[in-house]
Amino acid sequence: MNIAMILEKRQQQWVELEQFCDDLELTGKNRKTGAAGISRFATLYRAACADLALSDAYQLPPATVTYLHRLVARAHNRLYRASRIDPTTWADTLLRKAPQQIFADPCVRVASLLFFGLFTLAAFLGANDQWFPDFVSQLVGQAQLDQLEAMYDQPVSGSLDHYITMAGFYIMHNTGIGLKCFSFGILIIPCLFELVFNAVSLGAMFGYMARESSSGGDNFLHFVTAHGPFELTAIALAGGAGLRFGIGLFHTNGLTRRHSLRESARRAVPIMAASAALFFLAAFTEGFISPSPLPYIFKATWAILSAALISFYFVVLGFPNDQRQVERRDAESVLDPLAEQWDVINAT
Amino acid sequence: MTTANALDTTIAVVTPENISFEYQLAGPFRRLPAYLIDVATRWAVILSIGLFLMLMGAFTGFSSIGPFLLATGFVVYFVISWFYGTFLETYFNGRTVGKWACGLRVICVDGRPIDGTQAVLRNLVRVADIAPYAALTSFIEDVGPMFWVPTGMIGFVSVICTKRMQRLGDLAAGTMVVVDEKSWRLPVTKIEDPRVPALASYIPGDYRITRSMARTLAVYCERRAYLTPARRREIAMHLTTPLIKKFEFRPDVDPDLLMVALYHATFLADVRVESASLGSLGGASPLLRDTQRAPAAGNAADPTTGSLLDHQTPVVATVVSDAEEIMPLVNMVNKEVNER
Repeated sequence: MNIAMILEKRQQQWVELEQFCDDLELTGKNRKTGAAGISRFATLYRAACADLALSDAYQLPPATVTYLHRLVARAHNRLYRASRIDPTTWADTLLRKAPQQIFADPCVRVASLLFFGLFTLAAFLGANDQWFPDFVSQLVGQAQLDQLEAMYDQPVSGSLDHYITMAGFYIMHNTGIGLKCFSFGILIIPCLFELVFNAVSLGAMFGYMARESSSGGDNFLHFVTAHGPFELTAIALAGGAGLRFGIGLFHTNGLTRRHSLRESARRAVPIMAASAALFFLAAFTEGFISPSPLPYIFKATWAILSAALISFYFVVLGFPNDQRQVERRDAESVLDPLAEQWDVINAT
Repeated sequence: MTTANALDTTIAVVTPENISFEYQLAGPFRRLPAYLIDVATRWAVILSIGLFLMLMGAFTGFSSIGPFLLATGFVVYFVISWFYGTFLETYFNGRTVGKWACGLRVICVDGRPIDGTQAVLRNLVRVADIAPYAALTSFIEDVGPMFWVPTGMIGFVSVICTKRMQRLGDLAAGTMVVVDEKSWRLPVTKIEDPRVPALASYIPGDYRITRSMARTLAVYCERRAYLTPARRREIAMHLTTPLIKKFEFRPDVDPDLLMVALYHATFLADVRVESASLGSLGGASPLLRDTQRAPAAGNAADPTTGSLLDHQTPVVATVVSDAEEIMPLVNMVNKEVNER
């Protein structure tokens, strides 16, 4: 049989497959023919695959082979579609994977140590007005310090309108900083810079406001106490996630660099998700509780409770409870579809 | 599973059907317009939602509902600016508005569609890819014009340095951007010249065309439309001179015509039909042994007689295809010559 006849015979199906591809472009559903259409589409796709496989044996002209490559690629993209984001897996990511990963991850430890260590150091240096009187003004600038003091001159109070707007703003602004810190993790240095910069400047300002001499110190503490635990932990976690992400570039564990980066990025995503969740909690606290005229004891209780919640999350949920069982569960979830396939094959 | 060609921008993907097909990778200059369209779309969506919220506030009395709308505006801005690409790529199978407009698609490096985690990763890491934000000119006054547009340098360098043209986000997520064009015509073959089947009928029946020869012929016939007749003869001569000897044809047979005739015999002619209708060309034989007889048998006044040898009239044959040049034609012909 010669090529012209083969082409003529096959061309009808190829054109039909192209039309199916057009129909399936957006949603993956064929409105005209429904389930029968999908089945027909799969048949045509397999036929086109077979044609491509035999193209060498048929000695098809190269241009026709290129056409077949495009056609099969197009149909492949219509048949195998991206899985939608499944919100039911978010709970599993946040409540099982993330704390396990955070508890076991040395990068998170390093980032937290770095952040809270530098924060404490800067706070100490800033609070000590006998030995380091100029530390804070040199670090953040006198103008900003004056602004900070002026901001907390009045006792904190606000209306409901103000709370809601600020909560929205904090979600946008602070979570954005966290996400930026994470994505710069791939370059490592900007991530570390962001982490250290936040630690030192926040610590210095906290220390400065704790001085006897600075005005508005009480109001400042009144404001920051409630959301402190959530927000500071969230920043440290974002840095830890970024570090976990970037460290894969050179700590490869025997994988190729490319695979190692991909692997570490996958491991960093739950940490970042936990960090984003903490940023959201912090934003609501900062929006609704911190600026309210509630008594300080309530805010302090809230801070203690939130710290306890975070500890529970990290330690109790994160404690490696029978690692093998977890691994087996993960492995089984991978193997389940394979096992099903095997049953189907055996049955037929 | 994929394998990348060292010098080409195509990449082979093996599917679950155990078929290997090729994708064309999208380079930085195909992806930039797509990204710019995405930026414009994103801002258009954000601004239109903002306008909608403002109008809503204005109609319902700004004082009571205003803060809610403002907070909603902040959250909408946050979600859209960070998760625009993530949402579209998972929902529309690896395509955003810009990618759809430019005919691009994101897929896994192993050819599978992307999943949610990958979409999140590659869109978050875009922040690192478009770094540095500030131009060098804002720090130093006297720098060359090539430093005026510095944004996206990290992603750009990453794209041109990696085999699969991946930016950092693609590397982290294990994805690549491929060209997924909408329309692609099936190549059309049309040979109308009556001399072609005539000459093809003289090709000896025991001549077997090898696989690589068939490929060379196909590429030659696809590409010859872009060459001048003189250049066609020049290229074809390398291959046809030994063939003319082998077939015992007259040495002055048009090489281009012989190539098209071989193409016709390989790909188009129906083997069950014994011989093509030769029409008025019946008397004109390209065979060497007929050289003496031809003038006597033929009619000198007939303008079509002897046209097999006519080097002036170009052969009318079209093999239209959208395929890019698969391999430089001259190299291919020379390789085929060397193999003989």
